[in-house]
Parts: sequence; structure tokens; C-alpha cells
Amino acid sequence: MALAGLTVSVLALQACSGGGSASTSSSSAGGTAVKGGTVTVLQNTDFSYLDPARGFDGGVNAFYRLVYRTLITKAANDAADPNAMVPDLAQSLGEVSADGLTWTYKLKAGVKFDTGAAITSQDVKFGISREWDPEIGIGAPYLRQLLAAPDTYQGPYKSGENPAIETPDDTTIVFKLKAPFPEFDAVLSMPSAVPFPVGTGAGNEFINDIVSSGPYDLDTFTPGSAIKLKRNPNWDAATDTERKAYPDAWNFAIGIDGATIDERLIAGQGADVNALAGSVQTATIARLQTPQLADRVVKAPSTCLTYVGLNTTKKNLSDVRVRQAINLAADKTTLLNATGGTQFATIASTIIPSNVSGHADYDLYPSTGNTGDIEKAKALLTEAGVPNGFTMTLDIRNRPAAQAQGEALQQSLKRVGIDVKLNVIDAATYYETIGTPSQQNDAAITGWCPDWASSASTFLPPLFDGRQITAKGNQNLAQLNDATVNAEIDRIKALTDLTEANKAWGELDKKIMELAPIVPVNVENRIYLPGSNIAGLVAPQGDQDYGIVGLKDASKG
Amino acid sequence: MARYLVHRVFGMLVVLFLVSLFTYMVFFLLAPDPAVQICGKTCTPERIDQIRANLSLDDPFLVQFLHFLQGLFLGRDYGTGASAVHCSAPCLGYSFQSAQSVTDMIVQRLPVTAVVAIGAAVLWLLAGVVGGLISAVREGRFTDKFITSLTLGGMSVPNYVLALVLQYVFVVWLQWLPFPQAVPFADDPAQWFLNFILPWTVLAVGYASSYTRLTRANVIDTLGENFVRTARAKGLRPDLVWRRHALRPALTPIVTIAGMDFAGLLGGALITESVFGINGVGKLAADSITKNDQPVIMAVTLLAAFFVVVGNMAVDLLYSAIDPRVRVGAAS
Repeated sequence: MALAGLTVSVLALQACSGGGSASTSSSSAGGTAVKGGTVTVLQNTDFSYLDPARGFDGGVNAFYRLVYRTLITKAANDAADPNAMVPDLAQSLGEVSADGLTWTYKLKAGVKFDTGAAITSQDVKFGISREWDPEIGIGAPYLRQLLAAPDTYQGPYKSGENPAIETPDDTTIVFKLKAPFPEFDAVLSMPSAVPFPVGTGAGNEFINDIVSSGPYDLDTFTPGSAIKLKRNPNWDAATDTERKAYPDAWNFAIGIDGATIDERLIAGQGADVNALAGSVQTATIARLQTPQLADRVVKAPSTCLTYVGLNTTKKNLSDVRVRQAINLAADKTTLLNATGGTQFATIASTIIPSNVSGHADYDLYPSTGNTGDIEKAKALLTEAGVPNGFTMTLDIRNRPAAQAQGEALQQSLKRVGIDVKLNVIDAATYYETIGTPSQQNDAAITGWCPDWASSASTFLPPLFDGRQITAKGNQNLAQLNDATVNAEIDRIKALTDLTEANKAWGELDKKIMELAPIVPVNVENRIYLPGSNIAGLVAPQGDQDYGIVGLKDASKG
Repeated sequence: MARYLVHRVFGMLVVLFLVSLFTYMVFFLLAPDPAVQICGKTCTPERIDQIRANLSLDDPFLVQFLHFLQGLFLGRDYGTGASAVHCSAPCLGYSFQSAQSVTDMIVQRLPVTAVVAIGAAVLWLLAGVVGGLISAVREGRFTDKFITSLTLGGMSVPNYVLALVLQYVFVVWLQWLPFPQAVPFADDPAQWFLNFILPWTVLAVGYASSYTRLTRANVIDTLGENFVRTARAKGLRPDLVWRRHALRPALTPIVTIAGMDFAGLLGGALITESVFGINGVGKLAADSITKNDQPVIMAVTLLAAFFVVVGNMAVDLLYSAIDPRVRVGAAS
């Protein structure tokens, strides 16, 4: 009976996190967190920006969760469905009008800034409107794209009130959209939706200081070196279901060499028992096999896909059979080893990773041991009129792992007569080069992470919507512009039932892979080695959630 | 002397101007578009244009360079309207990656680099001069050969290898020292001092080795000079021969070279600072190169050039004080 119960709960977990087999490998740093103590986070690079209208990347989003709140937020990592969108400052998810163009939210009572002032609807409107300021709003772009503000609107400092947001009273906020967007709740979970007191944050004000709405406030900030957080006395736990805020303080130690971080976590001396860090370095993985360390390891696949974009506008690659042949010939096992091995990543056969809701499990181009099906690939190339293969250029970054992946693909495709020339590009200019169709070559190795994992709406559309191909900053590397795919994207985006939409995204994933515009390579794992006194570190989608992390024993370290 | 000084200061300004012009030109012509980098992953061409306009990246090269110089000497304004920001002189611009004031970034990190440089310089001068003297006194004997072998090792081991080996031995294995952590001197002076022991040692080893050999060679040369022989022949006490006649001339070139090396280090010790996570100018340079943060790279390049030029000038002035023959025009 007990076994049956366990099986059911494992299955339920799988279903919640997207259903992929790989998602079961997540684990947590054991023990229960208690209130108090200081958690130290060791990191190599500084956060991009303290200002959420500017910052917009995985690392800084985790930090923002400690100091900022938004109307809606992603559920805590230990929730039944950690991908779900849940109310944060708002009393409930948005109420949408029949035409899908108006979204209304009500603020909870008792929510305050660190100054002690109540967070009002005007503050939410003001904070969100900062996103339109051309000098400040360089973060998440969705609000600008969706809200019905005129093109001439340039944020509250230059243009005053945002005509797309109404505040009929202090607790009600009404958003007017240009077109229906059923996932508007998820958009309001982005950092650019953080409220700020009306009139604050002009120019560089939030570069070195902030106004906090979350459980912690800035204590000291030394750019490039250290950030210390203390409790925000005006944060009321009763208004916040997603953050537990166990530690009394957080200490972000920045600028430490990656190898040194791993050494410190392994050694676990002194206060380092209370330390956390990002994913360990590839070279460290082998050392984590000892029982003492293996117990502390938290490993989970990320939501990010590494893939080879095949430029469908180029000679030979414009033929779907050639692209399918490349998918068949790719030796994904060798590519995985080049990435860092089975511990470091999981082979991918789909576009949407297993941890993103909407993932459907399938493999259109299977082979024994994932080493490639040479016969089938050769047959397709013959059918396409290139039985002896051809020469193509693959863009790669000048990073050891990327170069190893490039060489692995080169070897794979050599087996079917395709001669891959590697074009190594400096990492600093890489994404600019491959994102400029006029400079892009035949193929490129790159990656993609969604902005929210509750659906694939920030996965498939940016990468495969043919109408989003731009002359600069292009993300549709395959330059796939397929009328059926475009129409299907529009249809799914309009679906109001998220479960139905996610099912449809999974089906579209397969339809796109029939066109083989990319070769899914693998999904990197996140491997964390928290200090032995850390509790509550769960990473079901690969990312850490500082809101629920704490110490097992607050007096230690 | 005044004429010589004016001449040198003018030359220094010309060099700094050319370095800044050249560095700016390299970024203008070769570097990737910072607007695309700032714009991030979900970007639109309109947004890129907007960012380019905000950063004045569409201005012609000379206009941008003049704005840079204007900021340096007079200060300048960034942006327009209520969100405009005034950057007062010496304005080195704002980081493309964090929007921090580059001048503030440098000012914050320079003292850290100075501590690294001063500590290392004290160590290498002490070790180099003492080692060189002992070697010279014991010329040809076992001690001399032993010290010479050590210096050979010291000169040939790369900084980053030594840094990692020392860290492993003293921090991970023996646990005599803590892992380096950013601790302000005022908070915990003992921890602060312990943090710098390894970086000072790593930086000093290479210099100390070459200074040992230099001191040894200079002292042996000087001891062979006629005036030393004369002094000995006069019956002067050996310690006086050493102190008055041998050491002073032997060490003068070492002090001047040390001045130049020290000035070079103030521009940042890239590898040592990066390995030990010391947030000095060197680490700032390494990080900004990785992130392609042009205003910061520009600033650290200028700073390094400034210290090298000033260091050179200081050494030249010192020489000219010692030896009037190097003063321009003095001979004629």
C-alpha cells in the first residue's frame, strides 16, 4: 500500500512538472529550515542591475524575489506545481473582460514598501510605466508589447501617466491590452512589473539603491564585490504565501573565481556551511561522487535547450530532407560528452524541455544509443539530390564546450559526407552576429531559456514565428517562416485554457520538428552543492528559489 | 630642470592623448554593437535604435571622442528630461553592463589594487635585495647556487599556476589561511591581512626572482670596480666598503626599476586579482573584457597608461637628479 502511495505521488510530481522522465531527478537539500542566521551566496559575476526595469536574467531574477514583489509571481519551488502563476501583491489572478482586452487586479491589504508606505495601485502603475522609459526600460519587453499605450509614450518621467493603465481607486488596477493575451498573469510576474513609489527611480537612482517591497531590504551594496540584505520590517508574512524568508540576513559575496567557489563549497569550512552558489563547474562534477558530497548535491534539469539552428534560407538546408538527415546523423551521445557528460546535461529530442509545461515526449529522429542513424540519413540525402553530401559552415562561440560541441557535430556529419567548416566567433560578438540574418552562416549552436515555464509561449513563438524574423537581434535562427506554424502559434496564443494551450504547444513542437529547423542537442542540468547547514533548496526547474531557503541550525557558522 | 619638467609633462600628455584616441578608435571600429548586447534576448530593431540614440552611438567617431574628452575634463550630461543624469568631471562614462559610474568603479577599486601593489612591492624588494646580497657575498658557493636555482624557478612558474597551487596547499590542504573573502579593513583587520598574504606572495615571487639576480649581478660588478678596490686598499672596514661604496651604486638602478614595475602594477594585476577574487582594477579589467564593457575597458586602459607614463617620468626625474647628463639640453 505504501509503495502504491509513493508511486502515485511520484507520478503526480511528474505530471506537475511537465511529465518528462528527466524531471524526476530533482532532489533537495535535506532538513527543515528554521528562522534566523545569515545565508551566504558565493558568485563569480555581479548581478546585472538592482533596478528590475533594467535587469532581466536568471541570476538576478532569483535575487529580485528577495527584495521585490509583483502583482503575480511564479509559485514557490516547493509548490505542487512550481511552474504555476499565483497571486503575490494581488488578491487573486487577473479578472479578464469578455473581449480579453481588459485585466483587473485588486491589491491585498497591508502590503507596504520598506519605507512603511502602503503599496497603492498608483505605485504599481508607476513602477510598470518605468518600463517605457527608453533610458531605463531595458528589461523584460512584454508589457511594452502588450499594453495599449501609444507609441509616443516614453514612461512616467517624460510622458506622465500611462494611458494603458487605470487606477479607479487605491487598490484596483486595470490594464488595457492591444490584443487578447490569456497569459497576461505571467507577464505581470516579470521583474519589470515591480511597483515603486510614485516619483522615485528617475535617472540612475535605482542603480545603487532600491525601494524594497519584498521580505528583505538592501543593507550595504558594494558594486562588483558584495550585497548584504537585512530584513524589511514592513514586509508582512501574512500577505505573502510564496516567500518564507527564513534567514535574518543574506550576504552575496561577488567576484570569486568559479573554481574557488567550488573548492569552498566542497571544503565547507567555517561560515561556508551556510553558503550557496550557482551550478558547479563541469570539472567539479566528478568530485561530487563521494558519499558526503553526493548527499548535499541538488541536481535538476534546467528549462534551457541547447540546439543547432539550421538556416532554412541557405542552399541545401532549404530542403527539409537535408535538415531531417542532419537530425538523423547527429551523434547526440558524443555531443553530450562534449557538453560535459551525462551528469551535466540530458539528451534532448524535443524543442520544449521536459521541465517546461507543454513538453510532450517524442523522438522523430531516433537511433540506437542516440549515436545517429547513418543509413536513414544517407537515404534522405540521396532523395534530396545530395548523395555525396555538401559543405556547410557552423557558427560557434570561442568557448571550450561550444568548440567541443562543434567538433562533435563535425565528426557526426562527416559520416554522411557533410563537411562542416567551423566558424569560431568571439563570445562577445556571437549573439549579435548570429542574430543578424545578413551575417549568419548555415548553422549555429546556441541555446534558449523561456521567460516563464508555465507554458511554451515564450519558447516556440520567439524561435519559430516567421513574422518575428528581424534584420538585427533576430531569434528565429532557422529563419523558419511557415504559414501553418505561424497560424498555429496565433491560434494557441489565443487559447484561454492553459491546459489546452500547453497540449497544443506540445503538438506544435512535434509539427515544427517534422520541418527539422533545428537539432535539439541537450538540456543542461543545474548541479548545486549547498553548504551542509542549508535547508529548503529545491530546484524542480533548475533555478533556485531563495524565498524558501534557510538554515537548518541558525546558530551554526 | 623646470624646462626639462615641462618638456616631460607635455610628452606625457601627448602619449595619454594618443592612447585614448587609439583605444577609442579600436572600440569604435572593431567592437560589437553595445546596443544589441544591452537590448538582450527579446529585442526589437526599434529598441536597438532607441538604445543607440540614448548612448549617442550614432554620432560620428570624432564627435563621440570629443564628448568623451569633454566628460573627462568638464563633465557631461547623459539622457534628456527628468531622467537625465549629470556625470561630473573626471567623467569616464557609465558601464554598458551595470550603468554604474565608471569613475566610481575605478575609485572604489584603486585602493584595493594599491594595497596589492604596495604589499607585493615591499615583499619583492625585501626578498630580492636580501637574496641578491647574500648570493653576491657567497658568490660561487652552495648558498649562491641554491638561491640562483630558486630564482630560476620563481621566474619560470606562471602566476596563475602558483596562485592555484598555493591556494590548494595553504587554504584547502593545510588550512593555515582562510579562503580569500572581501572584508573591509575596518571590519576585521586580521582577516583583511590574511586575505592578502597569498596575492602578495604570488605577485612578489616573479619580481623577487629577477630582483635577486639583478642585485647579485650589480653588487658583484660594483665590487670589482676600481674605487672599491681602492677603498679596500686604503684599509677601510669591510662593512663600510659595503655600505658606502658597493651597495649604493649597486642598488640605484634597482630602485628606479622598482618604481616602474610598481607603477605598472597600479594599472591592475589581472591574473592574480582574478584568481583570488580581489576586486581591484585588474579584476575589473578582466571582467569588463569578458563582458565587452567598452567604457570600463577604455577607463582601465587609460589608467594603466597613466601610471606607466607617470612611473616612467618619475624614474627619469630621479635619474636626472642623480645624473645631470640626461637632462635635455644640459650637455650643450
